Amino acid sequence: MAGKIVADQIEHSTAGSLDTSYVVNGSAKAWTNINGSSGTPVAQDSLNNGSITDNAAGDYTLSFTSTFGNANYTHVGMGGNTDTAMRTPCQQKSSNAPASGSSRYELIVANGSSPLDVAFFGVANLGDLA
Amino acid sequence: MQTPQFQGTHLFDRLCWAKENLDAVQSDYRVVYEDSIDECAKILVPDPNWMACALQGGILPPVQVYWELAKDEAKPDFVKHTRGHLLHNTKPVEAMTEEQAIEYLIMKDCPQHVWRDYDSGNKPKMVICRKEQLPATREWRNAWKITDELATDETVAA
Repeated sequence: MAGKIVADQIEHSTAGSLDTSYVVNGSAKAWTNINGSSGTPVAQDSLNNGSITDNAAGDYTLSFTSTFGNANYTHVGMGGNTDTAMRTPCQQKSSNAPASGSSRYELIVANGSSPLDVAFFGVANLGDLA
Repeated sequence: MQTPQFQGTHLFDRLCWAKENLDAVQSDYRVVYEDSIDECAKILVPDPNWMACALQGGILPPVQVYWELAKDEAKPDFVKHTRGHLLHNTKPVEAMTEEQAIEYLIMKDCPQHVWRDYDSGNKPKMVICRKEQLPATREWRNAWKITDELATDETVAA
């Protein structure tokens, strides 16, 4: 690819240096911002997302285009309807464990609550790609 | 815009290039499918950045690569993908039409038992439709099923 720089370290003029492996390992390898307020959810923006599967109310599967090395990547996310109606994406490890190519989330209010639709939902995934 | 020669380039780098250089394409197509009689219908929605890659061509690997990786992952002794190079080194697929892209996405992200014989039962297990053919609101979402009497100009799930 044009413009490629190969470097193991980057250095700031005053703040010190940093191994580029920190940047590579610490960056999200996939993220999706979803509008769930319409009839079917729509990705408003994303990186490395192939599709959204609307499984049921407040229940979505996100697929990756560039697959993770295994299912041991991490999940960061939040959703909401109004200023005070926050939803938390819950990855159902026991019933629907993540795979290297996709992960399923239920949007819940609290432990044990039923999944609910959301106007907005965003998830980022960090880990090693295949 | 011409796609660079991407064979051998990490797929993630290709996606970053696409995000920087291609306009996202919001598809009107939706795939409605039922993979269990005990569950409501599921709806597959293509990602707009992914669709841009599919229409552009030269970025995405053949769908068979994902099947190979899924086979590896299904093995009981699977720890980590050792054939990830298939994603990056296999010759990318050429530009697809939107309809071909939807077929690709079905074969990538829908269960094989659904799409391999989607119309062999008493009623279709899978339908490709436009979003206008689906309910406009989420009312009774957990009861949505593919309608028994399909007509192309009607709502397909209710």
